[in-house]
Amino acid sequence: MSVFSAEHLPALIAGLGVAAIGAPLSVFVVLKRLAFIGQGVSHAAFGGVGVALFLGVAGASVAEDILQMAIVLAFSIGAALVISALGRTNRGRLDTAIGIVLSASMALGFVLFTIAESRHDHDEHGHAHGAHADEHHVIEEILFGNILNANWNSVWVTLAGAGVILGTLWWLRHRLVFWSFDEPVCAAYGVREQRTGNLLLVLLAIAVVLSMQVVGVILAAAVLVLPGAAALHLSSRLDRVMLWSLLIALGGTLLGFVVGDAAGWPIGPSIVLVQSLAYLTALGSHKGLGRLRSV
Amino acid sequence: MSTSDHTRVPAIDLEQVGYTYPPGGVGEVGVEALRDITMRVEQGTRLGILGPNGGGKSTLIQIMLGMLEPSTGTVRVFGDTPARARHEGLIGYLPQRIRADLDWPLSVEQVVAMPLRARTTGFAKLSSDAHDAIERSLELLQLQDLRHRRVGALSGGQVQRVMIARAISTRPKLLVLDEPMLGVDVSGQQRFASLIDTISTELGLTTIVVTHDMRALVAVADRVACLSRTLHFHDTPEGLTPSVLAQVFAHDIEPILGEVHIDAHAAADCDDPTHNHHHHGCDHDHESKEGGAS
Repeated sequence: MSVFSAEHLPALIAGLGVAAIGAPLSVFVVLKRLAFIGQGVSHAAFGGVGVALFLGVAGASVAEDILQMAIVLAFSIGAALVISALGRTNRGRLDTAIGIVLSASMALGFVLFTIAESRHDHDEHGHAHGAHADEHHVIEEILFGNILNANWNSVWVTLAGAGVILGTLWWLRHRLVFWSFDEPVCAAYGVREQRTGNLLLVLLAIAVVLSMQVVGVILAAAVLVLPGAAALHLSSRLDRVMLWSLLIALGGTLLGFVVGDAAGWPIGPSIVLVQSLAYLTALGSHKGLGRLRSV
Repeated sequence: MSTSDHTRVPAIDLEQVGYTYPPGGVGEVGVEALRDITMRVEQGTRLGILGPNGGGKSTLIQIMLGMLEPSTGTVRVFGDTPARARHEGLIGYLPQRIRADLDWPLSVEQVVAMPLRARTTGFAKLSSDAHDAIERSLELLQLQDLRHRRVGALSGGQVQRVMIARAISTRPKLLVLDEPMLGVDVSGQQRFASLIDTISTELGLTTIVVTHDMRALVAVADRVACLSRTLHFHDTPEGLTPSVLAQVFAHDIEPILGEVHIDAHAAADCDDPTHNHHHHGCDHDHESKEGGAS
């Protein structure tokens, strides 16, 4: 069945919703060097999934779906703020903070996942073998996403999340740009640096959790980096960079669906591959090369 | 100036201000950067703050800007707390090192407009007053022709002018420039001094220039404060005698800089076998050593 059939319409809309979030956010992520934090937060989300499963919230109903997402979201936002606080107190060793939170969350997630699964096996004797295969499948979905599972509920959640993120970015755009451009000085002009920084991290955490359902934990950070990274090679005007980023994010997602469908590849990784190709093209384009500056 | 309310109060009023940096790590003690600073800066003054590296100049600036709370004493900026003065846009600030991310695809005009735009949210547009202030800032810093250029494509000096234009775009009453002439040659210093002179006169500013360079200071300041943890001198530049300077650059630095010995101790160090690593400094006067340290 084609991914463009009515049955998969929710998947397509959710995918485009995530792309719309990634477009402006990725510009901030790239310029403010938050890409690795994004990785940290998305891996922390795996810990959040582990916690949810451990608590018996497995997404069997709509209410459980929402509760599971809330737990993962809380865990991710917590991880983002812990990373930021550790980075501040640890004399700016942000990479260390990310490394610690990332691996600890993955470890915790996997341990809790295994405990939850063994409990499940215990309840259903005789299905140990099948349960094992299931377990691998579930982990794979968490790690690499399965957008084709998306239903209308995921669409509403994604669109609501996109509304919150895009609305906040737009409403506070001047403050956020000032902070990102010149953090050491913005406080002297009344822009609270810590509050603004934390706000952006919270938005990033929400975006990561929403992206997870499309591309999974491992690749979530990619769609929050690639469009902006590519767009910054295509223009030196912020408004045009934002437009390019949107174009690459939406186009990359659509094309990812097409390619995945045609080749029989998983959709999430196909989107990431297409966007990576867009990045390489932008980097290699004459215009892009002309703008490459030594740092 | 049209600010009748503000004309009587001093631009800056420091009362027994002290600051000790919190310990950096386990087992370390805090470092006292400032002690007992009492100073009044009247409006319209062009104050130069002179002192050695590590003498507390930047710390004092941070306190005046309300970015650091003093450990002891009180600070008033135009009769108000620094945070409030800042909130009202009374202070323009040029940091010592420009650490803005010039990779941002922003034009000169966008950067100059940033502080005013940062006060707006959502649909709000800049007032015509704000537009005028931005225009005037661009004009005073001679940036009109560069307004559409990307800041990342400018030279270091041009970027600095953009940052000063940004600092005065909020029409402040106080302009604080932290080491604005680092690495600028003598003719550049003179051009810079006359630029500051023009801006200050045109906008009726109180200006504070922090520097460790005597020449730079004399070019811009009509009052001088010498700072080396405590305030050693606060008067017109003519009162700056060699003995005052020697005192400022020799005293009180040792506890802050730890092993680095300056000036009065230098001769002794040369004969002291335990201070071999200071030999390179023995032939230099304090000024060249200070310059070298930057």
